[in-house]
Amino acid sequence: MIRTERYDSQMPGVGAVVLDRPERRNALDEFALRDLSLELGAMGADDSIRAIVLRGEGYAFCAGFDLPACLEEPARLGKMLEALAETCATIRRLRVPVVCAAQGAAIAGGCALAASCDLVITDRAAKLGYPVVTIGVSPAISAPMLSLAIGDGRARERLLDPALITGGRAQEIHLSALCVDLPEDVTPRAQLEAKRFASKPPHAIARTKAWLNEIEGTDLDDEIIKARDASLALVGNEEQRQLLASVLGNRSKKRQR
Amino acid sequence: MTDTTTHPATLEIEGRIATLTLNRPEKRNALSRELISALREHVETVRHKEGVSVLLLRGAGRSFCAGMDLKAVLKEPGAPLELLSGIAELTIEMRTMPQVVVADVRGAAIGGGCGLVGVADLAITHPDAKLGYPEVDLGVCPAVVAPWLVQSVGAGVARRILLQGGTLSGQRAYELGLVSHCVPVEEIDRVLKSLTDRLARAGIRALAATKGLLGDLEAERIHAAVREGAKISADVIASPEAQERLAKLYG
Repeated sequence: MIRTERYDSQMPGVGAVVLDRPERRNALDEFALRDLSLELGAMGADDSIRAIVLRGEGYAFCAGFDLPACLEEPARLGKMLEALAETCATIRRLRVPVVCAAQGAAIAGGCALAASCDLVITDRAAKLGYPVVTIGVSPAISAPMLSLAIGDGRARERLLDPALITGGRAQEIHLSALCVDLPEDVTPRAQLEAKRFASKPPHAIARTKAWLNEIEGTDLDDEIIKARDASLALVGNEEQRQLLASVLGNRSKKRQR
Repeated sequence: MTDTTTHPATLEIEGRIATLTLNRPEKRNALSRELISALREHVETVRHKEGVSVLLLRGAGRSFCAGMDLKAVLKEPGAPLELLSGIAELTIEMRTMPQVVVADVRGAAIGGGCGLVGVADLAITHPDAKLGYPEVDLGVCPAVVAPWLVQSVGAGVARRILLQGGTLSGQRAYELGLVSHCVPVEEIDRVLKSLTDRLARAGIRALAATKGLLGDLEAERIHAAVREGAKISADVIASPEAQERLAKLYG
């Protein structure tokens, strides 16, 4: 479900990594996350690429993990968390800026990916946040990146309160850099911002990104691992299994009605 | 009175308020070696004035500060590092002085000039002022100002501002937290006066203790990063990419 795009003729130097499972709102499992991390790494290592767009096909950027798969096989939730931590760290390490096109929804793991990017574009009505405590899972995994992105106070608010916020609010708290009116304008705008990055001197951009990473702390990788383990610690306990089953049960009941 | 034609920076002290003016209006107050030395000397003087609680930083003429005067030093090997190290030390000194630093930002504050704004405790500007860090556009890395900007506006916003380059309006700078006040230009004098009067009425020791604590919380890590930033920035200026762009700019 992960594919790449290059826009050589219209936008030299810009590439995109695409979540392509629109019928499931681009829900990710551990295999998709691993592919995502590999594709991002490969694109970042390509000298001709100077900026990357991370986007999702369809009306939502990413609804988070593939939860029905977790219900079927509980161990997969842990694998998904591990793969998500690795992907967030990869985004941070890339030499080139990454622009996230978060139209429609960036939820849980999807919001964690967005918060790891250098720039996030969303639409006014998009839904963002971490409702995962309602299924007994801790969004701790996103805490290191989210605290950096929006500050510790706001990060606490967003990680502890399962409510979703709109794209408009996400812009107010600086989770997104820019909020456009229509969902269909998000990707073109993200591409435009990536094109702007690609037109700048690559050496200066790479050194500046690396320097910002260093200022934020060279121990970010360790923090991500610690945060991942905090999330992992809850996986498979009774509370979590019951909550997940009941949330998914309610969802399928709603669908049948 | 000081002879303003020969002094790149002037200092006036009135009551509890010291006013430090960048005085190279013909160069939009670009930070030359001489200007940086003069600013550092004046900051050192004010730091020891026990009865002074506010340092007001302003620019003579239409701009606050156009940034580093790279043109003057580009051909001399070692000179960019000297200039950047001077700015690094100046910012650390402004940050560690007990006085509250207020920047009066009119016209433009670009690059290193915007760096001084980011180090100030409070800053006032007007909605159509031009602020920002266009360093990356010139192939240069804003490494000295980056640690301060991360401190003042947060890592996420700092990342965006520095990687995107270009400039921001005063209004946008206010929304992002880069400045504390944004009012129409004709009201700056009035708002600034009420702000500095308020600060002048406050307890000198209380202000100094508060600023001291905020400085302690930042710790040495930031100072080390700012000094290291001067080396990184000088290193990037020496790269062919930057040399080519700067040659075009000043050519």
